[in-house]
Amino acid sequence: MAEESDSINPGRDAGYEDPWPPVRGDYLVSDASGGVAVVTLASPIFPKGAAICGQCKTENLGVEKIVANVITNCNIRILILCGVESKGHLPGDTILALHKNGIDEQGRIIGSRGAIPFIQNLPDGAIERFQKQVELVDCIGREDVQQIEELIRRYGRDCRPYPDKPFPVIKRSVSSRRVSFGQGDISFGSRVIMDSSAWLVAEVIAAKADAEGSEG
Amino acid sequence: MFRFSKEQSIVNVAGVKFGGQCGQLPSVLCGTIFYQGHRIIEDEERGIFDRAAAEKLVFRQAELSEETGCPAVLHLYGRSPAAFVRYLDFADGVWDGPFIIDSADPATRIAAARLVSEIGLADKAIYNSISLATDEKEAQALHDSEVDSAIILAYNPSQPGVDGSLAILETGGNVREKGLMAEAGEMGVRNLLIDPAVLPLGSGAGAALRFSVAAKARLGLPVGSGIHNAVSSWPWLQKKEMTIRKGCDAAAGAMQLLAGADFLLYGPIESAEIIFPAAALADILIAEAVRDLEKPPGEGHPLQRLV
Repeated sequence: MAEESDSINPGRDAGYEDPWPPVRGDYLVSDASGGVAVVTLASPIFPKGAAICGQCKTENLGVEKIVANVITNCNIRILILCGVESKGHLPGDTILALHKNGIDEQGRIIGSRGAIPFIQNLPDGAIERFQKQVELVDCIGREDVQQIEELIRRYGRDCRPYPDKPFPVIKRSVSSRRVSFGQGDISFGSRVIMDSSAWLVAEVIAAKADAEGSEG
Repeated sequence: MFRFSKEQSIVNVAGVKFGGQCGQLPSVLCGTIFYQGHRIIEDEERGIFDRAAAEKLVFRQAELSEETGCPAVLHLYGRSPAAFVRYLDFADGVWDGPFIIDSADPATRIAAARLVSEIGLADKAIYNSISLATDEKEAQALHDSEVDSAIILAYNPSQPGVDGSLAILETGGNVREKGLMAEAGEMGVRNLLIDPAVLPLGSGAGAALRFSVAAKARLGLPVGSGIHNAVSSWPWLQKKEMTIRKGCDAAAGAMQLLAGADFLLYGPIESAEIIFPAAALADILIAEAVRDLEKPPGEGHPLQRLV
């Protein structure tokens, strides 16, 4: 569910954000009112019948996208994990750990065996909502599309929307900072220098330039 | 086209030099073979592949390197220790230069480091990579091996951005007790190559460009990236024609070089056809830009060879 196809515009009170899914990725959206989402991990398979279905190959950004696209749709109550794991990254193991244990103060997913399992872009409360809203079905390793479609049908029958509003996923904005010029450590010649820490380019003042001699 | 006040160290791995001031040395270009989904592979776990097709790819990269003056590195990716046995045997037979040993699986990386030490190829090997994911077991294995060149991945998801990437290298930030550079030294790594870790486009890929300049200014070490990942992870672009995608690959590589990079992990080795000319173009432009600031580059540089 980490990458994209078409998004869906809902009717009023449909239980999901407009448009949904909010985060782009390589996934297929079939029915946003469906109760089952499927992550096929590293397997390029696309079982039918799920609200949304796609791969996830990374234990950090890929997992974040899944959480974001799930909690913005109250209809999704079941998340099926299937397909083969992405070696070393282990996103399936990481999703299970995230759902069970959450994250620590640094954003590390507790108990994950993935390489760099961190959450960095989700707002406060998103993980808790993910834990409450969906139940995980652990079929990691299974690639038989017919079997997975049967699971989708079985679990989708009794799904009821999560009794709350879609959880807003706000992209973290990077705050700009005012910086002053420090000491230039990069030269462009012609008395133009750059302070790489402040990321500022400036002309060397005359007295300093005289002291340093002509550069170009 | 920057000129850094910090002395820029030059790393030499099996005769290929990385680093220096911008415009001083040609860019080192690392093409990946046996990557996940590579069509020349028949069995990724066992490392069974079409040897003739693989030779053709390696030879073509070498030809382009010779023609342009940009040194080449063979980037070997393996899914399993068994696969690495075959890949290294192949590489030893067809390639004299440095090679990268890489896997997403730490056990496979460890096995590869041991293997190159056993068969006497450690001096040509570059370990990819030492990162936040490196645990004690992997660190000990690298220490016990004869590998002394490694890529250090400056990925710090607990503190995204340039400051966080520098912190993970220098101090460990808030997720490791020591900086990765110090840890690499303890593992016996002497030749450090810094990689900013390129995130998907829209998730912070551009920070790699600024980081490259900042890292060279602050650390004086060779820097390079897999900027190709920003291109390949862009869903919008994947719907376009191959020529458009290749054009973006070349553009991204050239932008990374303009941002001070000394080497490119340019992705599939098949892309050598477009990356070597693009990098040579960037190298010539950069060398010309600093012509009155630096000594002219050596004879092997694209500036001397292609114009």
